[in-house]
Amino acid sequence: MKTASALNTYLKETGGWVAAQLEACTRCGICAEACHFYQALGNPEYAPVWKLEPLRRAYEQRFTLAGKIKLALGMEKRLTDSDLEHWSQIVYEACTVCDKCAFVCPMGIEIGPLIHKVRTGLAAAGLVPGDLAEATDKQKTIGSPLGVTDEMWRERIDWITDEWESNIPVDKAGAETLVVFTSIELMKFPDNLAFVAKILNQAGENWTVSSKGREVVNFGFFEADEELTKLFMHRVFQAAEELGVKRLVISECGHAYEAFRWTAPNVMKVPEGLEIIHITGLIHQYWKTGRIKIKEGAFDGETITFHDSCKIQRLGGLIKQPREILQVLAPTSFKEMTPNKEQSMCCGGGGGVISIKEADSNRYKVFEMKLEQLQDIQAQAVCMVCSNCRLQFVDSLAHFNSAVKVHSLAELVARALI
Amino acid sequence: MPSFSLTPVEKGILRCRHSGPFTPEDIQALTAFFREYTGKLLIDLSGSEPSECLRHIKHLRPIMPAAAIFGADLDPKILEIDTSYYASEVRWFKTEQEALDWLRNL
Repeated sequence: MKTASALNTYLKETGGWVAAQLEACTRCGICAEACHFYQALGNPEYAPVWKLEPLRRAYEQRFTLAGKIKLALGMEKRLTDSDLEHWSQIVYEACTVCDKCAFVCPMGIEIGPLIHKVRTGLAAAGLVPGDLAEATDKQKTIGSPLGVTDEMWRERIDWITDEWESNIPVDKAGAETLVVFTSIELMKFPDNLAFVAKILNQAGENWTVSSKGREVVNFGFFEADEELTKLFMHRVFQAAEELGVKRLVISECGHAYEAFRWTAPNVMKVPEGLEIIHITGLIHQYWKTGRIKIKEGAFDGETITFHDSCKIQRLGGLIKQPREILQVLAPTSFKEMTPNKEQSMCCGGGGGVISIKEADSNRYKVFEMKLEQLQDIQAQAVCMVCSNCRLQFVDSLAHFNSAVKVHSLAELVARALI
Repeated sequence: MPSFSLTPVEKGILRCRHSGPFTPEDIQALTAFFREYTGKLLIDLSGSEPSECLRHIKHLRPIMPAAAIFGADLDPKILEIDTSYYASEVRWFKTEQEALDWLRNL
């Protein structure tokens, strides 16, 4: 039954694009060397090409002569429920959909989006890992994967407003910009809301947060359940329409940025004329246009580096913007990790992995490589623009007893405002 | 006078003693400290009015490291949190000894 649901989904998903991508693969294995889970754990099943295997088998066995012959001769097996349960572990617990594999593929195959489709089949078959499914369910029923209720959200916004003496407008009629934060920021990094507010207020932005569209993280997207993905984005788009804003600012979440910026226009109606921008791009615009001024050298002294988030930097292209700002804030002590920019290695916590307890050993093992990159340049601090990455860094640095400090770009900019 | 003090209890355990009303600067400092501190906390509320810190305990709860609270009666609901992936264990105890024993065995 599970297999049937997954196969039906895979066959439904198999259009010309999927077929062309799968046919183009030469099984060269270069993608394996790009995968941080394969590098860290050495398990050949973690090679990205193997992660696509359920989709490939469904496609070949149904649509190609070679696949039908292989099946008839017993050279290849039909997928079973236990196969899919096994692949659920592989694609949810050892893959962050960081898409670095696609970046190195000599055939230009978009492996990340294909792995997303493998997840879609597994989600249809009810094979999403329990912790991830539970968080998704909470987002569906409560409005937040971390269980933040409407009441908690309001109380917490009030607390942040009081204790950071900041002005965070809620449901402000006539606002031009809607900023949507993540539950991770709200619960683990509440000061980040205050830092973002300080920057927007100093820039003279006419902005608001929304009590209806209050969550930017999309666990439906992590699961790869299209209906839930759309539902969670719809809540935000509806809030944007009701408030009549012209701009939607995605705060610190890489997957949300991908979902709102690139997935939404392909799967649902995006409010006409609504600009969608990541907070990094907005802060950079303010600084470039003189709407905010920052103190040069404010953080010079300790070696600080920048962690590139897969969906914001490699996919989103916001590579030079944070670096230009950091080079002002720490002109002599900013150093790059290697690899960096488009080639950067994922932190290991994205794609929903950090929410799955069973994946903890995987993500810590992956993070060891990131830790080595930090140690290689003797970094004392690291800056980033994704709260999911930040949670992985904070948790993993503590796990490895590292004293490296973790900052968001908004925090550094807010502290350096003049 | 600062609203809290931090003193070592033993290796891996710090005592965080609440001693007066919080200012915004205190809360900001505590937020940063809780996030960066990787050991365990013994939160001592015996030297103050609990009403001065209940709201903050509730909101700092998601950021707290593993912690045992004692020294004042607390509504356990304040410490209730969604069983999600980001939170450490925080419990309330009647006595300091019970709190310390729990922290040592954690």
